[in-house]
Amino acid sequence: MPAAAEPVRAYDDRIVRAFTVAAVVWAVLGMAAGVWVAAELVWPTLDFGLPQLSFGRLRTVHTNVVLFGFGVSALIGTGLYSVQRTSHVSLYLPKLAWFVFYAWQLAIMLGAISLMAGWNGGKEYAELEWPFDIAIAVVWVAFAVVFFGTLARRKVNPIYISNWFYGALIIVVAMLHIVNNLAMPATLGKAYSLYPGAQDAIVQWWYGHNAVGFLLTGGFLGMVYYFLPKQAGRPIWSYRLSIIAFWAFVYTYIWAGPHHLHYNAVPEWVQSLGMVMSLILLAPSWATLVNGVMTVSSAPQKLKTDPGLKFIVLALAFYGLATFEGPMMAIRSVNIMSHFTEWTIGHVHSGALGWNALITFGTFYFLVPRLAGRKLHSERLATVHFWLALAGVMLYVLAMWGAGITQSLLWLTLDDFGEVRYGFIEVMAALNPYYLLRLVAGLIFLAGAVLMAANFWLTLRGASTERAYPPAPIAEVIA
Amino acid sequence: MPRSVTVLQLGDILFRPSRVFARLAESEPDPTRVFFGLTFWLILLPPLFTYFGTSSHGWLLGVEPIILPDEIVVAVSIGYFVLLMFGFVTTALVSAWMARTYNAEDSLGMSFALVSIVGAPLAVGSIVHLYPHAFANVIVLVPILIWTVYLLYRGLPVMLRTGPERGMLMASALVGYLLVAWVSLIGITVVLWGLGLGPDMGI
Repeated sequence: MPAAAEPVRAYDDRIVRAFTVAAVVWAVLGMAAGVWVAAELVWPTLDFGLPQLSFGRLRTVHTNVVLFGFGVSALIGTGLYSVQRTSHVSLYLPKLAWFVFYAWQLAIMLGAISLMAGWNGGKEYAELEWPFDIAIAVVWVAFAVVFFGTLARRKVNPIYISNWFYGALIIVVAMLHIVNNLAMPATLGKAYSLYPGAQDAIVQWWYGHNAVGFLLTGGFLGMVYYFLPKQAGRPIWSYRLSIIAFWAFVYTYIWAGPHHLHYNAVPEWVQSLGMVMSLILLAPSWATLVNGVMTVSSAPQKLKTDPGLKFIVLALAFYGLATFEGPMMAIRSVNIMSHFTEWTIGHVHSGALGWNALITFGTFYFLVPRLAGRKLHSERLATVHFWLALAGVMLYVLAMWGAGITQSLLWLTLDDFGEVRYGFIEVMAALNPYYLLRLVAGLIFLAGAVLMAANFWLTLRGASTERAYPPAPIAEVIA
Repeated sequence: MPRSVTVLQLGDILFRPSRVFARLAESEPDPTRVFFGLTFWLILLPPLFTYFGTSSHGWLLGVEPIILPDEIVVAVSIGYFVLLMFGFVTTALVSAWMARTYNAEDSLGMSFALVSIVGAPLAVGSIVHLYPHAFANVIVLVPILIWTVYLLYRGLPVMLRTGPERGMLMASALVGYLLVAWVSLIGITVVLWGLGLGPDMGI
């Protein structure tokens, strides 16, 4: 006997809108902090003697706000949007989803304040102290319950590829975050890692590189696999390739962390393993690149009507660069020149600005008008944003390539006695012009982000979130 | 009727590129004519400027000028020429190959002309090599490079006779290829330095 029909509930898109708005606000604030620290490298007195504004503290505010405020808010928002549509159901436990939203925003805000106050665990990209680590773990588990609960209630049998990537993001980031932050609290604002010396470094870069892998790569690939076919109005070029790439990606990425520790006090075989797995990683990364490029190439007419699609096209080009450059920099004979130099900063930003930010901007230009139920306020403004973003990221990457090579050459030059020839001050003086160029690049990129924020505000102003319903089951349509 | 583009049209190429793009779009340029009429002379400029600049000032990469013996400067300039030639030919070949995917004009002559015209501002801007201070070169050449990327997006759909949308897709694919090629070049260079071919470093 058929069960009584459940009332059809609209998709929960107000939460998606909230995460989207939060992501845009964090993007502007986080990038502004980045511009500020870039300016401090040119004019060191810009901290006005205040420790809260010193480079060491403000730089971590920049990285935490853009990574976890902008990046993760965008991933949670788009993940919740796409999991409902690919499962044909509304969210599981929507109130828990709102808890995730408010708790996450509060954690980022208080976390940024704590970093400015000098609380710092000392692990890159995991600087927040133990009370925040516990709070983040709780919020993340709540997000997992909402996401996987929705997926479990799906009315479509196969699990669409974007959900595999979002799922991997949730599971692996939980694992990384908890294991890397295991520590013994000493005071409210200080804890000491459970791991000694070199082991701590290995665990930290197992965390650090897989945060890059499963959050900045895998999570955003989830975004691409849902939104790119939607925007292009075509299915993924090769679904089979996307599945193969997913498993190859998951298997390979987890081993690549030790390439951050070349020529350090960790066993050489560990370094070599990290290098080899990083090189292998190129294959699944570029499989996805081919899939994305071929999908969008089959629907060029959509570029006319979708202002966000060109951001995605450009993001794929920078994804190609970053996923090629990374394995190359993991080769020990390249790493000896590139490590600890500005080249690494350039590499990170070709990924963070060129790939993560552009793919998110492109997705948001698609998403915001649909959430508002009206057209984007200004497509012209979006085009201006596109050119500013392209110029900003190109200038940034080129400036840092120049700075990195200069820095490396100066560091490695020896005098007639075999001593280091150039001192700290001389190297910094040589880098100053490149830092100025990077500041200009950051300002250009930030200006584009501000235009986007204004465009979205004018689009969303006064509009309530458009209601959308899951499609009716096939049997019902036939009846 | 087949038409070509030569170095005599450099003024138009630099200051009225849209006109050149439109004119060439109606022609079928021969790759040999494009190469010897324009490309070769453009590619000759940066190594020549490098030779004269490095001979008279030495390279200033950071703190103090690196004065190189004349035979090394000649070798570096010839290497630069060969590298630019290699970069030009491979980029044009990649463009012609990609053109099929984007339903664009896939003749080698048109790709030769496109890459030459788009790269012309960089070749002329390399006059800054006469003063081989690394940062002076960066500050002059990077904005020009951004302008050439803009020219690529503007000129490709017109010259290769594809729509603006397909043109935008192909231009982005070419930018992706160029970025990867560039970073590969940096990678190969530092590996060669590490092997002892280049500056004397404490590795």
